[in-house]
Amino acid sequence: MSEFLQHMINMLVLGGTYALLGIGLTLIFGIMNVVNFTHGVLYTFGAYIMFIVVHQLGVNFFLALPLAVVAGWLLGAAIELVLLRPLRGSDIDTTMLVMIGAWIAMQSGALWIWGGVAKSVATPFPDAPLVIGPVSVSWLRLFVLAAAAMLIVVTYLMINRTKLGCAMRATFQDHDTASLMGVNVDMIYTSTFAIGSSLAAAAGALLGPVYVIFPQMGDLAAVKAFAIVILGGLGNITGAVIGGFILALAEELGAGYVSSGYRDAMGFLIIIAVLIFKPTGLFARSERVG
Amino acid sequence: MRAAVAILTIVAFASVPLWLRDPYLMNALITTGIFIIGAMSLNLLLGFTGQLSLGHIAFFGIGAYVSALTSLGFDAGLPFGLRMVHEPWPPIVGFVLAIIIAGFCGYLVGLLSFRVRGAYFVIVTISFAEVVRLVALNWVELTQGPLALTNIPSIAIGLPGLGDLTLRTKLQNYYLVLSVAVIAYVLIWRLVHSHFGRAMRGLMENETLAVSVGIDVTKTLTLAAVISAGIAGAAGSLYAHYIRIIDPEVFAFINTVTMVIMVITGGKGSLAGPIVGGMIFGLLPVFLRPIMAPEAQWIAYGGVLIVILFVLPRGIVPSLAQRFTKRPSRTEAVTPVAPVTFSKRDVKEHA
Amino acid sequence: MTRTFRIVPAIALAAAFLGGAANAQTIKIGVNEPLTGAFAASGTYVVNGAKIAADEINAKGGILGKKIELVIEDNKSNPTEAAAVAEKLITSDKVPVMMGAWGSSLTLAVMPKLMEYEVPMVVETSSSGKITTTGNPYIFRISPPSAIEAAAFKGIVDKLELKKVDFLVINNDWGRGTAEDFSKMMKEKGITVGAVETMDQGAQDMSAQLSKLKGTDSETIIVTTAVDQLTLIFKQAAALGLKKRIITTGGSQNPDQIIAQAGAAANGTMHLTTFLPWFPDKTPNPEATNYFISEWKKRGFDFAGCTESFRGYDGIRTAAAAIEKAGKAEPAAIKAALWDIKIKGLNGDIVFKKSGPEGKESGQSQPNVYLIEITDGKIGMKTL
Repeated sequence: MSEFLQHMINMLVLGGTYALLGIGLTLIFGIMNVVNFTHGVLYTFGAYIMFIVVHQLGVNFFLALPLAVVAGWLLGAAIELVLLRPLRGSDIDTTMLVMIGAWIAMQSGALWIWGGVAKSVATPFPDAPLVIGPVSVSWLRLFVLAAAAMLIVVTYLMINRTKLGCAMRATFQDHDTASLMGVNVDMIYTSTFAIGSSLAAAAGALLGPVYVIFPQMGDLAAVKAFAIVILGGLGNITGAVIGGFILALAEELGAGYVSSGYRDAMGFLIIIAVLIFKPTGLFARSERVG
Repeated sequence: MRAAVAILTIVAFASVPLWLRDPYLMNALITTGIFIIGAMSLNLLLGFTGQLSLGHIAFFGIGAYVSALTSLGFDAGLPFGLRMVHEPWPPIVGFVLAIIIAGFCGYLVGLLSFRVRGAYFVIVTISFAEVVRLVALNWVELTQGPLALTNIPSIAIGLPGLGDLTLRTKLQNYYLVLSVAVIAYVLIWRLVHSHFGRAMRGLMENETLAVSVGIDVTKTLTLAAVISAGIAGAAGSLYAHYIRIIDPEVFAFINTVTMVIMVITGGKGSLAGPIVGGMIFGLLPVFLRPIMAPEAQWIAYGGVLIVILFVLPRGIVPSLAQRFTKRPSRTEAVTPVAPVTFSKRDVKEHA
Repeated sequence: MTRTFRIVPAIALAAAFLGGAANAQTIKIGVNEPLTGAFAASGTYVVNGAKIAADEINAKGGILGKKIELVIEDNKSNPTEAAAVAEKLITSDKVPVMMGAWGSSLTLAVMPKLMEYEVPMVVETSSSGKITTTGNPYIFRISPPSAIEAAAFKGIVDKLELKKVDFLVINNDWGRGTAEDFSKMMKEKGITVGAVETMDQGAQDMSAQLSKLKGTDSETIIVTTAVDQLTLIFKQAAALGLKKRIITTGGSQNPDQIIAQAGAAANGTMHLTTFLPWFPDKTPNPEATNYFISEWKKRGFDFAGCTESFRGYDGIRTAAAAIEKAGKAEPAAIKAALWDIKIKGLNGDIVFKKSGPEGKESGQSQPNVYLIEITDGKIGMKTL
């Protein structure tokens, strides 16, 4: 029983960050219909920014986080402006392949600059975990959960309560009409990509100190992000959040009770199952953002 | 005209071993050729039915494992105390079985495509490849898992009256790969120009309309998936018997990416596209190796990919073909307001 | 587009020609290592260690009157590339002997090429048993396969008083091989083997496996994986309040990096290593160890990398010794000579014994294995 409780705690903590990853990608995928292979690289980038800012610039850990988010935002905007905007109107495969090219180039760039040896970020939290009865959880992870939750709420509010969010949702439903209504679709696209990328960077910045930082760390994260997007339905933020927790749950229980070797397969098996039985995702009541 | 170009190309490729003596480059050509066969098969799905499959390496890898296991033999346990025992068979049988079993897997994936399209199909195919990789990794009794299948025999062809010819040398393997590639090309060509090919293209252009004139979506897509997977399986088998060691790393995503790059840069939907794209991206690493640091090579690889896509977004072959035809080219309208692309509409109607 | 593609191969060919012509006066040793991809960090360490060996030998006048030249190629952590690299080193660069290819699947991919071209290779890191048991007489391995590690551990295991042991291993041939060989050894000693958990090569979250192991009644966990995952395991185990004894194996632990990154979570853990850069005097060859470490530091490399790079150093010295013994830089002679050499490696004598099916044996050397413990952020020999 205590093992089960421990799995539940692990799941909660992991689910929050998975949700962040998923939201970022579902926005990009949903609104822009771009198979964004740079999502994992942004995750990695967020983590490396934490490393640079905390260790090489000596900035306080808590200040470094928003910096990483902003850096992710900027990088995302740059990618969109340089690589995606000129290709507006192209096939989904062309943009996908350009994203793959950017992914290869950027990941190799990270390897070149920082080398392959893993880096870690010192955190101001105590190493000893918080122990409640038979379950333990580290303070750092609790902080990560809290930060992720806060970011999720902020994003949700932004999408549903602000003008920008409204414009994004309109564009998602129908670009032409939105454009006719005066929405600057170009700017929406850039903002969407930037926001999505900043969320990925945030996830990386939060998880980098939990794990270790190395150039390929984003690959697995990216694949899981895609799984979450499917689970939740394209463009569905709430779905992505729930999807993140479901994936974490499946991984924890699958690895704990079925077979640890298949832990990362859980996500994929879920995807296949969901797509066979409910292709629009578990929660897409209709195709919508928010 | 087309036929002349095709024949000239085949002759050109066939003549390569006569003047190219460097075994290293021959090796590169052989492995590139194997991936080109895989790319051609992917093109069938990607270019002619519009289904973006990012798990194509699964069929390639399944073909490789089936062929390797057939020629090595195995002894594995199944649930309920049953055991599967198999004596080694000649590799050529493995080659045939690889095609059949990979094709069957393609059938299963084809069935799935009935349910999902566009972006979702992408994810499903990625997931399928990952699950296959994890099975290969964890079902150690059958596949040896990470311990790898080693000492895979080379393909041997029995010639009537002449005995067995084991294809061990580079020269032999080169011609083997070339032959399979030509056969695959002809097969795809025939398919594309048959009524099935027209059905596939109809589906790709406008599915609702195609269905309304009586095209059976499932049957068409499934047939395309089966043939595509079968050819990929053949390529996988060639790979297994040439490199002679197979481990679950063969399912790595980067291998799918390589094939996708070959298809799209070459020009999806064009028969020659994967070959052109394949030659470029298969041999690019060879040329970059002596002139750049390892990390820089990858950056250049990604950069070349991006540049080609920017300059020739429809792929090299279609763009060049456009250049050479006298007809006014039908350019895509790139309007400031992004037109709703086909796949997006698809998602709304079918996902 | 077409113009570029005529220039690039021309440059490549020119480079190859110039390269070849200029170096008729050197003896080449091929180095086939992962410099990009998943194993980039380790491959780079090994290559840097190799360079130290090459420079040291050249400073002393080289071998057979010529300088040695390392021809270093990146196999991109990919078996197809490893085979292609071997092909290039042997046929284009004409190396008479190679070192490589780091990972077991990479080495296995190279092995058919060695048979085809009859060129020997010194295997410096790979641990899969298959490498020396499938009948490839061109393989000479200086790193220990898990069977040998288990045998070496046998002597220590009594003093640790192990009763029941769980395994947590990386899901590749190295991890699985270790679990298998160590389990066999333990059962012979009457120690119970409990759970065997695996983790995927790229996995970063082992909380599920650790939670499961937290609940078993074993008192020890044997962990086999590389330093990045070890750091994560220790941190996550500490976060879960897992209090069992942890012993790591495999020789890719990099304890300095673990201490730096896992901090207090690393205290109390023990490690089976194949090198003791912290206690040069306890190594079989203190003088060489001291030289190696000071060179390493002088070049500004991360000290933590010593536990992997020494293999590159020993590998090159092995190849060089064989060339010297053979009297000529030719594959067949070098292969024969490898059976005759005995040199003092950084972690034991390097002398090759036969391993594998009769008539086609590979060479396997028996390195030493040491048990160290991390206490209060410092590394100490586990005194038993």
